[in-house]
Amino acid sequence: MSALRRLGPTVGVPVFAVLVAVVISGLVMAALQVNPFEVFRVMFDLGDTPSQQMTAVVVVLNRAVPLFLAGLAVAIAFRMGLFNIGVEGQYRLATIVAAAVGAAVALPGPLHVLLIMAVAVVVGAFWAGIVAVLKVTRGVSEVISSIMLNFIALGIASFLLTGPFRGSEPGASIISTADIPESGWMPSLNGIFGALGLADPPRQLYGFLLVAVVVGVALAVLLNRTRFGYDLRASGLSPSAASASGVNARAMVLKTMLLSGAVAGLIGLPDLLGDTRSYTTDFTAGLGFLGIAVALLGRNNPLGIAFAALLFSFLDRALVPLQIEGLPASVITIIQGTIVLAVVIANEVARRIARRSAERGGAAADAAAPGDGSTSTGQSAGDVGGPGGTDVQGTGAGVSRTAGAGQADDTRGAGA
Amino acid sequence: MAATGAPGATAPGAGAGPGDAPYAVELRGITKRFPGVVANKDIELRVRRGEVHAIVGENGAGKSTLMKTLYGMHRPDEGQILLGGREVRFRSPADAIEAGIGMVHQHFMLADNFTVLENIVLGSEPTKAGRLDRAEARRRIREISSRYALNLEPDVLVEALGVGDRQRVEIAKVLYRGATTLILDEPTAVLVPQEVDELFGNLAELTREGLTVIFISHKLDEVRKVADAITVIRRGTTVGEADPKTTTSHQLAELMVGSELPSPETRASTVRERPVLQVRDLTVASSAGRPVVDGVTLTVREGEVVGIAGVEGNGQAELVDAIMGLRSPAGGTLLLGDDDVTGWTTRARREAGIGFIPEDRHRQGMLLDATLWENRILGHQTRPPAVKGPFIDRRGARTDTARIMREYDVRAPGPDTLAVALSGGNQQKLIVGREMSAAPRLLVAAHPTRGVDVGAQAVIWELLKDARAEGMGILLISADLDELIGLSDTLQVMLRGRLVATLDPSDVTPEALGGHMTGARAGGAA
Amino acid sequence: MTKAAALLLAGGLALTACASDEEPAADGGDTGGGAAADAPKIGLAFDTGGEGDRSFNDSAVAGVEAAIEANGGTVAKLSPNDDGSNRADLLTQLADQGYDPIIAVGFAYSDVIGDIAEQYPDVTFAQVDGAVEDAGSPENLTGLLFAEEEGSFLAGVAAATKTEADHVGFVGGVETPLIQKFQAGFEAGVEAVNPDIQVDSQYISPAGDFSGFNDPARGKIVAQGMYDAGADIVYHAAGGSGIGVFQAAAESGGRAIGVDSDQYQTVDDPALQAVIMTSMLKRVDNAVEQFIGNYVEGDVAGGENQRFDLESEGVGLSTSGGFIDDIQDDLDTYREQIISGDIEVPTTP
Repeated sequence: MSALRRLGPTVGVPVFAVLVAVVISGLVMAALQVNPFEVFRVMFDLGDTPSQQMTAVVVVLNRAVPLFLAGLAVAIAFRMGLFNIGVEGQYRLATIVAAAVGAAVALPGPLHVLLIMAVAVVVGAFWAGIVAVLKVTRGVSEVISSIMLNFIALGIASFLLTGPFRGSEPGASIISTADIPESGWMPSLNGIFGALGLADPPRQLYGFLLVAVVVGVALAVLLNRTRFGYDLRASGLSPSAASASGVNARAMVLKTMLLSGAVAGLIGLPDLLGDTRSYTTDFTAGLGFLGIAVALLGRNNPLGIAFAALLFSFLDRALVPLQIEGLPASVITIIQGTIVLAVVIANEVARRIARRSAERGGAAADAAAPGDGSTSTGQSAGDVGGPGGTDVQGTGAGVSRTAGAGQADDTRGAGA
Repeated sequence: MAATGAPGATAPGAGAGPGDAPYAVELRGITKRFPGVVANKDIELRVRRGEVHAIVGENGAGKSTLMKTLYGMHRPDEGQILLGGREVRFRSPADAIEAGIGMVHQHFMLADNFTVLENIVLGSEPTKAGRLDRAEARRRIREISSRYALNLEPDVLVEALGVGDRQRVEIAKVLYRGATTLILDEPTAVLVPQEVDELFGNLAELTREGLTVIFISHKLDEVRKVADAITVIRRGTTVGEADPKTTTSHQLAELMVGSELPSPETRASTVRERPVLQVRDLTVASSAGRPVVDGVTLTVREGEVVGIAGVEGNGQAELVDAIMGLRSPAGGTLLLGDDDVTGWTTRARREAGIGFIPEDRHRQGMLLDATLWENRILGHQTRPPAVKGPFIDRRGARTDTARIMREYDVRAPGPDTLAVALSGGNQQKLIVGREMSAAPRLLVAAHPTRGVDVGAQAVIWELLKDARAEGMGILLISADLDELIGLSDTLQVMLRGRLVATLDPSDVTPEALGGHMTGARAGGAA
Repeated sequence: MTKAAALLLAGGLALTACASDEEPAADGGDTGGGAAADAPKIGLAFDTGGEGDRSFNDSAVAGVEAAIEANGGTVAKLSPNDDGSNRADLLTQLADQGYDPIIAVGFAYSDVIGDIAEQYPDVTFAQVDGAVEDAGSPENLTGLLFAEEEGSFLAGVAAATKTEADHVGFVGGVETPLIQKFQAGFEAGVEAVNPDIQVDSQYISPAGDFSGFNDPARGKIVAQGMYDAGADIVYHAAGGSGIGVFQAAAESGGRAIGVDSDQYQTVDDPALQAVIMTSMLKRVDNAVEQFIGNYVEGDVAGGENQRFDLESEGVGLSTSGGFIDDIQDDLDTYREQIISGDIEVPTTP
């Protein structure tokens, strides 16, 4: 029962927020003279043939993988009260360096992929580490420094792409790094469609999906079940209490940002290893910012983030069929935006309700011990020699009561 | 006990005081309910014109709710408010201000980068042709300042002012709006003793000029010093009126809590030879470089309670921080047993056997938004039973939390309750139980019974005594002189960062101790 | 309460991240079977910015509409999402829904169009601004390319002839090979008239950061710097950022040259109209219309590029406002020389 109650807000709040958002955006659509039911029908229509339907599933999953990783990266920092807006720059820089390293070496398959992932993780962590170092040594707000580092990361990525890492022909319309050789590709998971007896779609399901699942499970364990996760959460709930309990606040900031950056480094890899094989001027941008919304929707909980990522990519997929049906694609933007706002509001409301009901429930359980006020007698020593200093008398004198019969009489003086 | 007739006039009066002048403020049968709770019930309050009327009660007794009602911040469900004998109904603070009621909040609401003048007139600016009429404002502020001896310079920036000055700016702000009744919410909480005296001087000026002051506090000695009449609130209702001239702090305290106060006394000495904590020449510098702990040397032995007495703000908090490793000392050494722990981290010190009951449990002792079992782990992240290797042992933590709740009488629905749901006393018992469960060699207890109810206080005192008997060394910092004298084996007095006296608690009175704390008496009289 | 503020900030950022200005593809045409058996069902996939950009994408729409007028048929118009990650889906969906021909607008499709073309060998694809070689030269793909450098050369000639300060400027949106062609042509044109004229060339954002095509504020700052440094005519190839260049020109008393479409006609503000001396036209509409015409005739060869240059009137200068009427002869002279091959215009700066 207690487990159910604890899960309540984690599941209930986002679900409720999503429903509210759907209703609100339905009303907005109706106001814009767009039939909301038609919109929702198109959103859920995955296609006519099994192949098309599976393609839609692959599109949703492929998009969800980077969103999930981005949400995780943001959530790790959020858990300790750090706002890592720099995920964007961290993954862009990590991806281009990983792409260049991956293209420059030739190793046996799994090793090659592992090397690319390691490079991405290290670069992402390094870039986030700068934020942490600035914060612990100079007190620079991570919000400011990570935004600034985003700009620097984009600049460096552009420089690397057009300069040292350029692998495309001069004059080619898209500048890119050299292609990663086949040993560094992540095999697709399309085999499972056959194994499950489903139609094998032409689109490749990213093999990185497995990596993302492993990372998600590992982080869930790390954050919820380990001492490190406990220290991280404690630091987020109350930095002063955490340091009094022996958590080294500075080291914690550094470790958290490194971890957040390391996960951020992976965001670009599903596309890089599963599809594009090179970093181009056109490489998917903005995932770091979407990650903030995903983390919010998932309440910084890995499982919740997985659902949030799937929801966002499901909505994203609907962009194309909606346009084909002649419906405005901007309704998706409206739904996404409404969901984010609804979740932010619902989270805050839920937090307050939980806290208030907890306070009331506790007060009821605590009926025998009313009042948690201060009873200190002689709070201040400043009264020595004052009018009351030696004034030891019976309680009755000078005291009258309008209520509260039955108090014990006591004549013990303050200094007895 | 019999509620015998007393000078305080408790007869359910018509709206008139003894001298037939109507009461400046009279509340009759005020009741205020919030969903699920009754915050105020049948409040009776009679304040005469020109007096300082104190309202005392424990935190959470309903003082703030009452004052918000009087200031128009919410409307009572039942009862009447009478000002000067006439019934009034306030819809908002603006109505209350209009009726001459002014509120000086505990936390100042001043804009730092504005001048005194600008802060005072903010919101009710005198204008001439649409522009701020500074000359007029300055004239009126000077007039208020000299009339009530507030000593304000209109053109000084507020950021340049000290706390006491800021408070006088707040008072001037209220007077500027024509208040005749001032409500001061815990006004001394932020002041040092000299400033408190100045404030009391100002209050005397105000009442001499015919203004009425309602003074909310739980500092009983101050209340007795400044008030002309005292109304005591307990559990949301007024339980009596007392004459400050004839009532002791102790009696007031009993009125406030409604039962006999427990005794912290302990006598049979259990002090052993082996020192658990030795502090040598410890110096801690403030951020400005001034020593706030200055060459402190003390020893805590096994089975010994060393009490640190002192007016708050004389370096006790910094001493505790330095011992816990939360603040690095500028000089000196700390020995825990035989180990020099001066350079150790907080975690290492805790692992080596220091338990910690922090002064402010919400800030340093608990995660309010976390469950009780998670709070069981706090400060013990590296030790069983809540932790297995690098992993949190949820089951172990829950089981052990249940045990603590049983053994230490923590009243809560279960280990999965949020800490915020507990009363202060139960939170504190959980903290004490948690720290005791790790069987520390040394317990640093800062104000262990501050803000807890009497029942919890007694329990905590018993626990400390038992632990001492089992050989734990305890460093006790407290502002409660009875607690200090009753529990300590050795008393040290701290003044301006130094230990100025070592006293024997068996032959020191609170008065004598207070004399040492303020520096009125010198030397180790023990 | 700071935490709530941070959350709101996050929400705001997230909204910005998902916000887009896509116009609905209002007349999305017929979704089921074709209206007429012979009439083409045209699929049009836009570049980021989508329909309503008053430039590139709209020009393609104009071409499609002209073609429908001539040949009948329907069109479905799709815009990609903000990060362009669903470009492949746009094309796949169009192909799945039976659209043929499918025209992708913008070089960004080069990454994906090759695979899709191979996947749907029976569908005819075309890509505006994309060379078939970049997509692996599938047989059913036609690249619609423009000689931007030639048009830009004439823009350079116009600027060099008209400048009074002997100092002109070029503002590029994003430093990509495509925009570098504009820069190269412009600089060559200026030099051909008078090698002593100073040309300042600058880009709003580096390669990989596409914000430079849609950031009027930064466009204005960059152009303002050029006017302040003494330039009196600035040519922009910066898409949506160009409006900032016009604003800077209006405030500095300078002049500017527009790009892609006849921007004299598309800006609403008369104050800005007054500074637009001419625009380097890139007739995407002509190219698209011609391609659809060929398709209807069954004349699309596929697997090769069609190049639209000065000779085929694929590029040129607009004359709205009459600011360059007096130098039309000079411009014609240079035009002839380029067509005849006497002048060879570079494609890289």
